[in-house]
Amino acid sequence: MPTIYETVLSTLLWAAISCAVVAIPGVALAYVLARRSFLGKNVLSTLTTLPLVLPPTAVGYLLLRLLANDGWLGESILGIDLGILLTWKAVIIACSVMSFPLFVRTARVAIEEVEPRLESMSRSLGQGPGRTFCRVTLPLAARGLIAAALLAFTRSLGEFGATIIIAGNIPGQTQTLASALFSAQQAGNEGAANQLLWVALLVGFATVYATERLTRKGGEG
Amino acid sequence: MTPQRELWQIHLKIPLDRFELSVEYTGSERALGVFGVSGSGKTTLLESIAGLRTGASGNLSFSGRNWLYAEQGVCLPTEHRRVGYVPQDYLLFPHLNVRGNLEFGKERAQQEGVAFDKIFQQVVETFELQELLERSTRRLSGGERQRVALGRALCSGAQVLLLDEPLASLDAGLKRRILPYLIRARDTFGLPMIVVSHDPVELQALCGEVLAMDAGQVIARGQPQDVFMRSDVFDTAKEQGFENVFTGKVTVLRERTMDLKLVGLEETIRVPASDAAIGDERIASLASDDILIATERPRGLSARNCLATRIERIEATGLRYLALTSVGETTFLVELTKDAIDELGLKAGLDVYLVFKTNAVSV
Repeated sequence: MPTIYETVLSTLLWAAISCAVVAIPGVALAYVLARRSFLGKNVLSTLTTLPLVLPPTAVGYLLLRLLANDGWLGESILGIDLGILLTWKAVIIACSVMSFPLFVRTARVAIEEVEPRLESMSRSLGQGPGRTFCRVTLPLAARGLIAAALLAFTRSLGEFGATIIIAGNIPGQTQTLASALFSAQQAGNEGAANQLLWVALLVGFATVYATERLTRKGGEG
Repeated sequence: MTPQRELWQIHLKIPLDRFELSVEYTGSERALGVFGVSGSGKTTLLESIAGLRTGASGNLSFSGRNWLYAEQGVCLPTEHRRVGYVPQDYLLFPHLNVRGNLEFGKERAQQEGVAFDKIFQQVVETFELQELLERSTRRLSGGERQRVALGRALCSGAQVLLLDEPLASLDAGLKRRILPYLIRARDTFGLPMIVVSHDPVELQALCGEVLAMDAGQVIARGQPQDVFMRSDVFDTAKEQGFENVFTGKVTVLRERTMDLKLVGLEETIRVPASDAAIGDERIASLASDDILIATERPRGLSARNCLATRIERIEATGLRYLALTSVGETTFLVELTKDAIDELGLKAGLDVYLVFKTNAVSV
């Protein structure tokens, strides 16, 4: 059996990887939604938000259908077994999908708050769209983007419903802080459940506090 | 084909909410002014020239290079136009300090073969930015922001300056202090510029030619004084107070006043003292309705300035009349009523005296 320490460590690691996975597509999609007008933008925005409002188990089930042998990403269609289900990779997929909408929504607001005329000014000073994004948009939205990453990280730490469906709850392999707590509670192991609860509270508080500080620009101290 | 080698060929039509902006200008004026009241379309014109606004039709070329040729779908992106755009609110990058702002266009400058270090140093010296270089742009005053924005444009390897209401957001005192920086920008760096403003004083001090705009149309074009004398422009300019603008060298300094010597004039003009040393050049302005005309040299008047001159011509502008007189090499416009002209028998060729108070002159 893994120690609580190991479970917490792997949960933190998986949450961090999920965060890294959603960051680049998340910023790109947030930028497109914040700055571009195109047909179907509202539909895209709604689809992006959907995992936030669906029951996590529904999202998990949908992912299971996709990754199952006969699913779109299954062996019978792709011709190879990606070997995702019931592994740590499934944990990361579940966490990424569930945290993606939170990341995109926060990042979109951060980008929308950047004065578009500053981007125009950068263009007039000879910077193309890509360099303007890197030199103006990104640094000016940095606080909001870090907040988005922290929120996505927190969401991944607490992910349970979708994860348990596609990754299961295998101690030492796919068990996360949330599923370990569930198991401990089910087994009547109050001591372990309490320890896990304290860790969850501590990590959750620290992340949300940091996010608050960042989004409020440190104004209220 | 239109003839090439003119600096500017502007044939633009831009549909706006209330009217269609339509501007035709072909010419080589290096300091071109665009005058108009707020809402006349002048900022839209400047943004279109900078390439920051879409929807323009027609064509636009600078120095023989097409920036816009709508018919053939040519529209050079703003980053390739090499403009130094200075908007009314300066738009300094808040995440960079003054140095970071000045160096923002370094890459383009270097790509265009501009010796960046040299121009950077020149900008820092001309606009007196040495002390500000490491300061956050959030901690700059209005005048300092203006100087940094101008410097940033010049350091970016721009081939033309586009200035949108460069002094509008500054108070009157600061305007007088910043105007010389604009003149230095024009004279030291030798770049062509387009200056958009609702202030005739700025345009007279900076520009060799002015387009006056109203409701999206150019209603007058010519030398600043000629344009502002026109009845349709004068009435608009009058809201700002029509001002004679002139430059003089400080010859005498007193506690509260000083003397300015105008080019080509023996006499000096007494003006309120400003922060100046003997030999400094100062820009001064004098409202056209602050000047009296006397047919004989007046005696016992408190006004300290009395300049002998001759009326060159008298123009009617709406209900008012303007007399043009030359003092040295400077032309002064004097606003008159029909009664004054009739009763004093004022006419072109008549020798007269211009009388005005020291405090009527702003330095």
